[in-house]
Amino acid sequence: MMWLSGGFVFRRGTSVYHRLDPRVKLLISLLMFSVTLMVQALYQLAMVISVMVAVAAVATVLRRVARTMLLTASFSGFIFAINLLATGNLASSALYAVRFVAIVVSTSLFFITTSPDELEQVMKTFRLPRDVVFAFVTAVRFIPVMMLDTLQIMDAQKSRGLELEKGNLLKRVRNMVPILIPLVVNSVIRSGELAEAMESRAYGAVPKPTSLVKYRARPVDKAVTVLAILLFALTAYSFYFLLPAHFP
Amino acid sequence: MIEFKDVTFVHQNGVRALDSVSLEVGKGETVAVVGENGAGKTTLVKHVTGLLKPKSGKVLVDGVDTRETSTAQLSRKVGVAFQNPDHQLFSESVEKEMAFALRNFGFPPELVEKRVSWGLELFGLEEYRESSPLVLSGGEKKRLTLACILAWDPEVIILDEPTVGQDAIQKEKLAGTIRLLTSTGKTVVVVSHDIEFLWPIQPRVIVMKGGRILGDGMAAELMLRKDVLDSARVAQPQLVTFFEGLSRRPKATFADPLEVRRWAGGNR
Ligand SMILES: Nc1ncnc2c1ncn2[C@@H]1O[C@H](COP(=O)(O)OP(=O)(O)OP(=O)(O)O)[C@@H](O)[C@H]1O
Ligand SMILES: [Mg+2]
Repeated sequence: MMWLSGGFVFRRGTSVYHRLDPRVKLLISLLMFSVTLMVQALYQLAMVISVMVAVAAVATVLRRVARTMLLTASFSGFIFAINLLATGNLASSALYAVRFVAIVVSTSLFFITTSPDELEQVMKTFRLPRDVVFAFVTAVRFIPVMMLDTLQIMDAQKSRGLELEKGNLLKRVRNMVPILIPLVVNSVIRSGELAEAMESRAYGAVPKPTSLVKYRARPVDKAVTVLAILLFALTAYSFYFLLPAHFP
Repeated sequence: MIEFKDVTFVHQNGVRALDSVSLEVGKGETVAVVGENGAGKTTLVKHVTGLLKPKSGKVLVDGVDTRETSTAQLSRKVGVAFQNPDHQLFSESVEKEMAFALRNFGFPPELVEKRVSWGLELFGLEEYRESSPLVLSGGEKKRLTLACILAWDPEVIILDEPTVGQDAIQKEKLAGTIRLLTSTGKTVVVVSHDIEFLWPIQPRVIVMKGGRILGDGMAAELMLRKDVLDSARVAQPQLVTFFEGLSRRPKATFADPLEVRRWAGGNR
């Protein structure tokens, strides 16, 4: 849960990166994501990750990203172990494991610097159906709320003598029931209420509602876009044609 | 029974919800905690059961430091009914919901049965014994959570906003229940915005604002302190306002607004 909140939940920021057009942020994350898939060797991956760290530094979210990396590393350890058992190849197993961290970080950079409102705008520019956009954005918006709910439910049940950290595995899974049921019930109640509230505020009354904010790319946004694409092309080219697949 | 020694607590987002709070609540006392939204009342309550641990300072419950024990252990002594009933109801039936804590504390089955029946009757919920707690009305859910806490007979009972959604009769009954608990020697802490509900109980009142304690005293005295009440955004009980108004008239029936204390006592 800490992984989810630290790695994917938007928090307000004022950095240059936060203020970029959300579409540009999406592009940068997509490019970084693609590059991680093109990587042929661990040292190349290290280069890619250092670019991500640089972006994180510009966006002043270095500490959050570092924590996400650490938390993701435990999943990665698992990936590494499975791969090693299956293939016996140390280098490629390590590559898969570290690549997973890189993929998570590239995605996380987009989500932690893009507010739900911006996300909505991005999705609209792709002409996705309004209901789909609304559903997705609402889901994203409610992640922090659900996490807060979970904490409060845990508090309430602990105060009734529930011991979460005790007993064998089966007992621990059973202990989750008093947490999960109120959580699900609350979410269902809330979504029903939200739907009613939206309808009573005329959601869906006209086929083409107007928007409060219109995004327009500023010169900075255009410059960053060009720069990002150039860097991507250069990296991709050098990974395939210039740099050796194995570190000499 | 409960002792806060210079307790400060800061939430993850940097909000200082408790700011050097010192407080002592003796065994058998009835205490009301009042104050505007976000004053830190719920945060205070969560410190008593060790759900939150102080950043600095100490919380002692019955002489035990909350940092040195678990919430499950503390809650055998301290029962807290939280603000939002939807955050805890989960069982298939009202009866099982009530039995949950009792089972956790290892009560024998006959006793569980007895305590559940007692609680259902006390809160007028017998007819729902077999129904799902999730289909109850808002006020009934709230009452069920109170019944759940009282069922295991804790020494200290903490109620966070117990009157929310309760009709006039239920509120009166609840006030009666609180007096009953006090008369059996329980320590009761009530967090509430409902001054008119608290007034007839005549509790000791703790007024909070911005994580600090602004005022602490018996209701009859503290409710005359307009300055404290205003700054914590707490309404004065209408009865107090009325007698204060009377006492300010030229041919005052009361020489002293504090006379209201006598009235408060006689008005039960
Ligand atoms: N889990 C949390 N994370 C961050 N901040 C919190 C959290 N819980 C409470 N706060 C903040 O701490 C402060 C005190 O909150 P608390 O819930 O104790 O207030 P309260 O007096 O119970 O208010 P109310 O009357 O609305 O119930 C508030 O400013 C609130 O925003
Ligand atoms: Mg509260």
